[in-house]
Amino acid sequence: MSDAPKGPRIIVEDAAVAPRLDFQWEQAVVPVAAPKVPSRWSGLGRAAAGAAVLGLGLAALDATNFVIDQFGRGPVQGWATAGVVVAGFGLLASGAWREVRGLFSIRAVERARAAFAREDLPAARAEALRWAGGVAEAASLQPALRQAGSTGELRALLEGGPLLVLDAQAVALGRAAAVQSFAVTAVSPSPGLDALVFTWRGVRLVRQVAALHGLRPGLLGTMALLRRTLLDAATVAATDVAVDAAARALLSNKLLEQFAGEAAAGAVAARRMLRLSKVAAEACRIVPPTP
Amino acid sequence: MPVDPLGGLNDVLRGVEKLGRDLIGQPRIRLAVTGLTRAGKTVFITSLVANLLAAGRGRRTLPLFEAAAGGRLRSVRLVPSASEALPRFDVEAHLAALAADPPAWPGRTDDLSTLELTLELDRPGAFGGMLGSLIGSRTVTLELLDYPGEWLLDLPMLDQDYAAWSAETLRRLRRGERAASVRDFLAWVEALPAGATADESLARRGHALYRDALRECRDGLGFRFLQPGRVLNPGPRGETPLLWFFPLPYPSGGGLASLMAQRHAAYVAAQRAEFFEPFFRRFDRQAVLVDVLGALHAGQAAFEDTAEALAAIAAALRYGGGWWDWLVGAGVARVAFAATKADHVPGRQRDALAALLGTLVAAPQGRAAEAGVATSVHALASLRCTEDAVATLDGRPVAAVRGTLLATGQSAKVYPGEIPLRPPEPGFWEHGFFEMPEFQPPKLDAAGGSGVPHLGLDALLAALIGDLL
Repeated sequence: MSDAPKGPRIIVEDAAVAPRLDFQWEQAVVPVAAPKVPSRWSGLGRAAAGAAVLGLGLAALDATNFVIDQFGRGPVQGWATAGVVVAGFGLLASGAWREVRGLFSIRAVERARAAFAREDLPAARAEALRWAGGVAEAASLQPALRQAGSTGELRALLEGGPLLVLDAQAVALGRAAAVQSFAVTAVSPSPGLDALVFTWRGVRLVRQVAALHGLRPGLLGTMALLRRTLLDAATVAATDVAVDAAARALLSNKLLEQFAGEAAAGAVAARRMLRLSKVAAEACRIVPPTP
Repeated sequence: MPVDPLGGLNDVLRGVEKLGRDLIGQPRIRLAVTGLTRAGKTVFITSLVANLLAAGRGRRTLPLFEAAAGGRLRSVRLVPSASEALPRFDVEAHLAALAADPPAWPGRTDDLSTLELTLELDRPGAFGGMLGSLIGSRTVTLELLDYPGEWLLDLPMLDQDYAAWSAETLRRLRRGERAASVRDFLAWVEALPAGATADESLARRGHALYRDALRECRDGLGFRFLQPGRVLNPGPRGETPLLWFFPLPYPSGGGLASLMAQRHAAYVAAQRAEFFEPFFRRFDRQAVLVDVLGALHAGQAAFEDTAEALAAIAAALRYGGGWWDWLVGAGVARVAFAATKADHVPGRQRDALAALLGTLVAAPQGRAAEAGVATSVHALASLRCTEDAVATLDGRPVAAVRGTLLATGQSAKVYPGEIPLRPPEPGFWEHGFFEMPEFQPPKLDAAGGSGVPHLGLDALLAALIGDLL
């Protein structure tokens, strides 16, 4: 320290104007993706895939051989068989394609939500415009969505307009489903049938709500949506759980049970159906829920 | 025990609210950013907000802070404005000015402004996820306040009467006699007769001379302990007759002395009601920013003046530790002292800068520690503007920093001198006054989507609020 130069100094390096320092900060702070765990097929998954390959593959080979054999019998038989085979496999393929598209439409919701969550304006705007293009209630909003200057503005436009309308429609659908479940469970002869009716009506309700939001989920899409709906249902606010418990306590007390009989159980089922419509609507929204 | 019964009731209510919020995992923290003039409070808050928002979007802007959060930080957002009467701290405007071409550092803060941030985190522990799904995630709300640094120096005035204030102020002013305007004021005030009448023209003349003296002390000599703060920075309302007072060598008696004492009392009452009671009566965490390098380069008198100002502010602040504070849950839990503009010294000297700050704030740190407050000392650059370099001086290589000068746009290396580990010996000051040049901010994204480059902000935040996450 003692032999260091005394006092501070400024040494101008170059008379010319220098560019501003660039620490490449944007690149330095880019999030590092967590290492992806290689997904392995479970034993059951492999067995199911093997069965599917054998079933479809052998069926295709059999059908091809059969068509060739039929052509041996005569061109009319050959062409007729080929037509039947192509139509059958074509319908199977179109069904599978529709399933995949349905599943991808659910994934698009995830993409849009992720874009909103990280406040990525271009991605969020593109997803919002794509969504608005497929939903009648949101179509008129597209010019405003194009002009939005922030994800907050996009969210406000969506939440203040089409999502509000869709939420009201989802509640109406839930109410209709609730009335039906109430009626069916009140008159059904067995609890097993109750459960069956409730499940069928619940799945139908989720698909109806999804259709409101422009989603056309097939079987796989519905399963993905149900999984998400159930996951969201687990995070429903404590107040909602409390209301449900209160309804259950009120409607299943001894006095009311004598008075209303099986209708009490139906009322609980109806209440659940209403909640399901609300949670399904929440799961289909392209904006993440407000904390 | 508080003197003001309403203040005491307020403490109790706030204590109950705090307890409730802590129980449900939604604490609300008032972070007092204290610092003398030009310590860098505005840039600190801008950087803190921009980097926290970016961290909430998954950017690795604050690695040590995120480590303190255990990777549970989910999002950070600004709390939307409600119906606050105070201006909102304009992060976007400050970032845009820093990123503009040519860039501009925030000007002198001349009014209060506030901002609130909400940090959303997953709940800790093995059952945190399950608990979170039932009662919601953990949220920590940070309240921030920006204000003119000059006003903070009014804090020690709250417990002084006019006579005591006059005597102390004149004693400190005499240290600045190398400034012409200080000599003018001292000559004028000492020539006043003891029984001077309460004449308005005398009062105005004395105030004008005193104001010029304070300005020269601040801008020319680098002094910070200058009172009253509103004379130097009157705020958006401008100068009012309340400010027209100055210290007198004979502060007791009637006439002019009585008028000065009245104005002094009214000024103190106004500052207490408008500034200190609402904002500094109660806070939970404190960041004390000190421009150590500026004080060191301004000379021995400025350095000692800074130390004295910091000690006086700390003595006037309420750190808790008493039985009443314990009862109502008041008091400060953590204080972090930071030597700002740490990018103006090369990397190997930053530890020395922090050590020097440690000796400079020994008195406030001791006072906080007595009240059971955890303290830490840091070297900080809220916005890093330089990179380390080697310069050749007198034929020898020395560690320096390189940056682009704000005034000329030229690239320059700056050798800041050796930073002593403790208050320097008299021989150290021989090189005289040195003003560190202002550097241009580095290339920035005006939208601040990725935060801004900094040095040590993550360590400071981890030390200050890491336990709340």
